[in-house]
Amino acid sequence: MIRVMIVDDEQHARDELASLLNEVAQVDIVASCANALEAVKLINKLHPEVLFLDIQMPVIDGFELLSLLDQEVMPQVVFVTAYDQYALKAFEEKTLDYLLKPIDPERLKKTMAKIEAAIDTGEEPHYQTPELTRIPCASGHKIKLIDPKQVEYIHSDLSGVHVFTAEGNFFTELTLKVLEKQIGLLRCHKQYLINLAHVAEIITLENGLAEIVTLSNHKLPVSRRYLRSLKEAFHL
Amino acid sequence: MDLTISLLRQLSVFLVIAYLFSKSPAFKPLTEKNLQPKSKLLLFAIFTGFSVLGIYTELPVEGAIANTGAIGAVLAGLIGGPVLGSAVGGTAALHLFILKGNSALVYVVSTGVAGLFGGLANIYLLRQNKPDQVFSPKAAFLATFGAEALQMLIILMMKNPFSEAWALVKVIALPMMIANPIGSALFMSMMRDQKSMFDKVGALFSAKAFNIADRSLGILSKGFNAESAKQLAEIIYDETGVGAVSISDGKKILAYIGIGDDHHLPGLDIVSPQTLEAVRDNKVIFADGVHEHFQCAISDSCQLGSALIVPLRVENEVVGTIKLYEPKNKLFLNLNKTLGEGIAKLLGEQLLRDRYRTQRNLLVKSELKLIQAQVNPHFLFNALNTIIAIVRNDPEQARSLLRHLSNFFRKNLKRSGDLSSLEEELDHVNSYLVIERARFGDRLQVIEEIDPELLQIKIPTFTLQPIVENAVKHGISNLLDAGVIKISAGHSRDRAIIAVEDNAGCFCDKLDGDGLGMNIVDKRIKNLYGNQYGIQTECVPDQVTRVALVLPFEERESK
Repeated sequence: MIRVMIVDDEQHARDELASLLNEVAQVDIVASCANALEAVKLINKLHPEVLFLDIQMPVIDGFELLSLLDQEVMPQVVFVTAYDQYALKAFEEKTLDYLLKPIDPERLKKTMAKIEAAIDTGEEPHYQTPELTRIPCASGHKIKLIDPKQVEYIHSDLSGVHVFTAEGNFFTELTLKVLEKQIGLLRCHKQYLINLAHVAEIITLENGLAEIVTLSNHKLPVSRRYLRSLKEAFHL
Repeated sequence: MDLTISLLRQLSVFLVIAYLFSKSPAFKPLTEKNLQPKSKLLLFAIFTGFSVLGIYTELPVEGAIANTGAIGAVLAGLIGGPVLGSAVGGTAALHLFILKGNSALVYVVSTGVAGLFGGLANIYLLRQNKPDQVFSPKAAFLATFGAEALQMLIILMMKNPFSEAWALVKVIALPMMIANPIGSALFMSMMRDQKSMFDKVGALFSAKAFNIADRSLGILSKGFNAESAKQLAEIIYDETGVGAVSISDGKKILAYIGIGDDHHLPGLDIVSPQTLEAVRDNKVIFADGVHEHFQCAISDSCQLGSALIVPLRVENEVVGTIKLYEPKNKLFLNLNKTLGEGIAKLLGEQLLRDRYRTQRNLLVKSELKLIQAQVNPHFLFNALNTIIAIVRNDPEQARSLLRHLSNFFRKNLKRSGDLSSLEEELDHVNSYLVIERARFGDRLQVIEEIDPELLQIKIPTFTLQPIVENAVKHGISNLLDAGVIKISAGHSRDRAIIAVEDNAGCFCDKLDGDGLGMNIVDKRIKNLYGNQYGIQTECVPDQVTRVALVLPFEERESK
């Protein structure tokens, strides 16, 4: 059984696609959700093999969603859209396939055949994703989009990943790995990313450790492993 | 005494000539405030003629002469300034010199000096800021008197022996100093009368032209057709007082008023070869009735004898003609010829403006069509997808949704009028919202607060739905929880306000820069009702976006 996940902001659209998938193929629908943030969380957790992804969604669209994903968990992606103005772009991104709403069951069968073939070859999906220009964070019932320049540092702990800015700290579903790769923050510790523009001081300690003091006087640990790259970044 | 009478008799000949001259077209340029070089040349020729004539008709007095030669020179100087005066005086003097040689040297000098004197009088008057006095008979009298006195002085000084000079001056001084100034004054008074007549005619002409322009304004905005042509023809007929006025398009008579309206009927094809020529060659044709006669091509018994045919041009393309006619027994006034050409030009400009306006309206309409067309596909496919899903569990709801979808599209496609009632617009919006609510479920809430009094108010067609659609898009697209759309309609004493609000408060910047196609709605309302109405937008980031249509409202009399 292929493990599938559906992302669409419309309940009926999700239901219909799920029904159709159950009719035409042997699939295990591991999750379905209504927005990109939920999707990131579920993908990171459930590692689905295939993602049926609506393009037009609130705040973060389907394309942007892909840049929030770690390559390690990247599923095969099938875009679903109501109107084919995005189709060309979807092809450029070299997604596996795309479907037009309302979905034709026969067409869906062909898509499933492609998916099976792709999974059989074991080839890892690689998508060109748009540059991440804002970090989506949960803020009450809204999605807060944070400009990477405003970020002072990012910290992960057991409760998740926290983005620290002058405005306060925000919870994000994105992993440190994705953030490090996508927005150009520097890793200074297993659990910390630092924005070099906000560094006030680096204090070297014993045992090859160090400590960063940020402009707003926060102290971050620097582990032995990352001190070198940090120094290189400052041409020290 | 005899000499005075002889001089006056001689003068009367001049005055007759002057009178005839003042009536001739050649006179007209001389009445202008600033004389053109061409007019100055004419003035020079005419007054030199007078002076020379005065010399030819001189009266021999005791071996010398008494003449009126100075008048021309003085008047030329007075009207045209010292240069012209000296030129006229000098030319006359030169002529005298060639004729008589040294013996007439005194007169040669005195005639030249007379011209200079007139010119000095001109300068004096202009310096005193009394340019109108140049044409006053009093000034002419005094200037001529002064010039003659000067002439006597010169004779006394130059002629030898003095006793002989004295004897001569005794005889001629009084007659010349009386007769010539009188002649000068009369001459000037004639010119002044003629000049003021030209001024009056000019004023009359301007008044007519302004009246026609004023009364014809806006008539052509309803289009160039039989009705507007009739109104225009009436105005032109009224103001010019010509025998008949006809307005045609390129092929047919649109309107005809005046003599001959029994057979020059509106709706008939143009048959007159002159009119056809005017249309074909894009040129003004004038059959003045003297050199060229106008011959009516419809009826031989037609009384019309002269005609002015002016093509009506829009961007140099002939779209019709304006014709002015006079009957055979009446002269076609030059004034009306000029007026006729002016009217055609004026109407051509109005037609051009009208053409631009039509094009602008068409542009707005096609922009509108584009917007209508743009909305549909995405909404349509999503709606269909939703209905397909719903049909599995709730066929009844699916059927209802399909009916709303039909209603929505029918309204979208069918409406072509400019205005529709709020009720009709709300019906359209309602069908749209029923479908969107089915799509988004709990995520979309709609609140409607409509004052029933406003249901019949007219708003530009297809305004409300796009605004609501924007609100839904924003409300839904930037919120993870429910988007709340509020549609309200209310009024103050004189304004109706129809507002659409969402609780997302995003795209504030887009609202200002009109990323949302609101400009065209605003433009339409302003075109319809005036600049104090239109679209008002408010946006508080992350809280609220409000788009309001502000329209005129008239409180109905309480029954």
